[in-house]
Amino acid sequence: MTDLHFGRRNRPAPIVPQRSVSGRTLMLLVAIMTFLSCVTLGSVVLVQKSAIAWSADVGRQLTIQIRPVEGEVMDSNLRTAVSLAEATPGVASARALTLEQSQALIEPWLGKGLDLSDLQIPRLVVVELSDPAHADIEGLRRDLQSIRGASLETHAAWRQQLNAMAGTVVISGLLVLALIGVATVLAIVFATRGTMASNREIVDVLHFIGASNRFIAGEFQGRFLLIGFRGGLLGGVAAIVFFILAGMASHSVSDAASGAQINVLFGQFALGFDGVLGIAAVIPVIAALTAITSRLTVRRFLNQIAS
Amino acid sequence: MIEFENVALRYGEGPEILKDLSFRIEPGSFHFLTGPSGAGKTSLLRLLLLSLKPTRGRITMFGQDVTRLDQDRLLELRRHIGIVFQEFRLLDHLTTFENVALPLRVLGQPESAYRANVEELLTWVGLGTRMDAHPLVLSGGEKQRAAIARAVISRPDILLADEPTGNVDPALSERLLHLFAELNRMGTTIIIATHELHLLQKFRFPRMSLEHGELKIDD
Repeated sequence: MTDLHFGRRNRPAPIVPQRSVSGRTLMLLVAIMTFLSCVTLGSVVLVQKSAIAWSADVGRQLTIQIRPVEGEVMDSNLRTAVSLAEATPGVASARALTLEQSQALIEPWLGKGLDLSDLQIPRLVVVELSDPAHADIEGLRRDLQSIRGASLETHAAWRQQLNAMAGTVVISGLLVLALIGVATVLAIVFATRGTMASNREIVDVLHFIGASNRFIAGEFQGRFLLIGFRGGLLGGVAAIVFFILAGMASHSVSDAASGAQINVLFGQFALGFDGVLGIAAVIPVIAALTAITSRLTVRRFLNQIAS
Repeated sequence: MIEFENVALRYGEGPEILKDLSFRIEPGSFHFLTGPSGAGKTSLLRLLLLSLKPTRGRITMFGQDVTRLDQDRLLELRRHIGIVFQEFRLLDHLTTFENVALPLRVLGQPESAYRANVEELLTWVGLGTRMDAHPLVLSGGEKQRAAIARAVISRPDILLADEPTGNVDPALSERLLHLFAELNRMGTTIIIATHELHLLQKFRFPRMSLEHGELKIDD
């Protein structure tokens, strides 16, 4: 008896019982919504990071293409192109791809084991820029007009397309996040109404003993804040685990031939510190969203009872 | 303390449950509210508890026209009124101690401030050894005594009881009535809705008789 007294005195039981079916359901729902939000947010971060990295890589490189022209000596033209490129301000280096390297580039389309020595294929000079912002690309383009069949590819169209695609993915991701937010709010509203209905007896008793709507809303809000925080934590941790597992899976794929291409396209499947920080920030946001939404719903429910 | 002037009540578009009630209840008085089932006893108690507003007429309580007060002010006044229900309405997940302390907790008082008072009151109503028991394991009489303790812990000026002896045996009914009488002697105004004749005969307090929505007071 004494021990029970001591326990009771230290901490009175919450007025709204902590364990109820709707509480567990709501926590699971919040966890799922948090997981989806975090995965969406993480994916957006990954795509944006990859796009920026890819765009920067591509922006540091130019390609001079020299088509075979009758009467022209390809090797001489390649040397001239390399010299012109190296003399251009902002260029770090220039190198001509060997015939084997050029053939390797078209191998995926024509297949292995073919004798391409008789085939007149265009040759490429890869130009690395030291300072993409101040490189005299137009000057190089003018200089290359002296070589018949030469053209300069800056990859600007690719970069534009890549940026547009990345922008679309980011906007779509934000839209999905907004929709998840709306769905979360609606689900919390329904769950709160359900909880209020199942706890109607408590609400009535509290009213009869003179509790204000503010007090009652506070009691329910405290519980929903806890549910939101626990659900958010569960979903956030699950999302971080998901990204860790996805990163490990990506590493194992990287050993295969296609892995390299995946890495080129999507970069490393790792969120980084800022990504984890973003996911961690989602947890209190979801908890606050749960608490605020439930409080407004409870206040509305109580006002409806009063009227 | 309480004054009704031509008070009427109807639910929605239905007939008038209470018709032109006019009466006055003095502080420190004890009244039985009687009448057959469906006569409107519970509706009248709800008007007295300020959880309903009359369709017409004026109710004055504690010197204020309560028909004109907003929700917040009504809640403040309700804290001066205790209520006991036939079906007890204790919260099953709270202990007897926590149920009785609830009105004080709602007022924002810390447990250290009210613990001694709650324990003293529970001992007074004979539940000193049942403080940590939950309502589910209490007998009907124990639940009703806990409900009475909850209703009076905040020292209300008015105590309303709706068929408080409806779920207990006759012997316990009398003991509960003695408890109400004791509270009345300590200054609480008491109105008990009941239709148990043996109690009305044994305890000679004024009767307010409701029939077909009309009220008659026998002193």
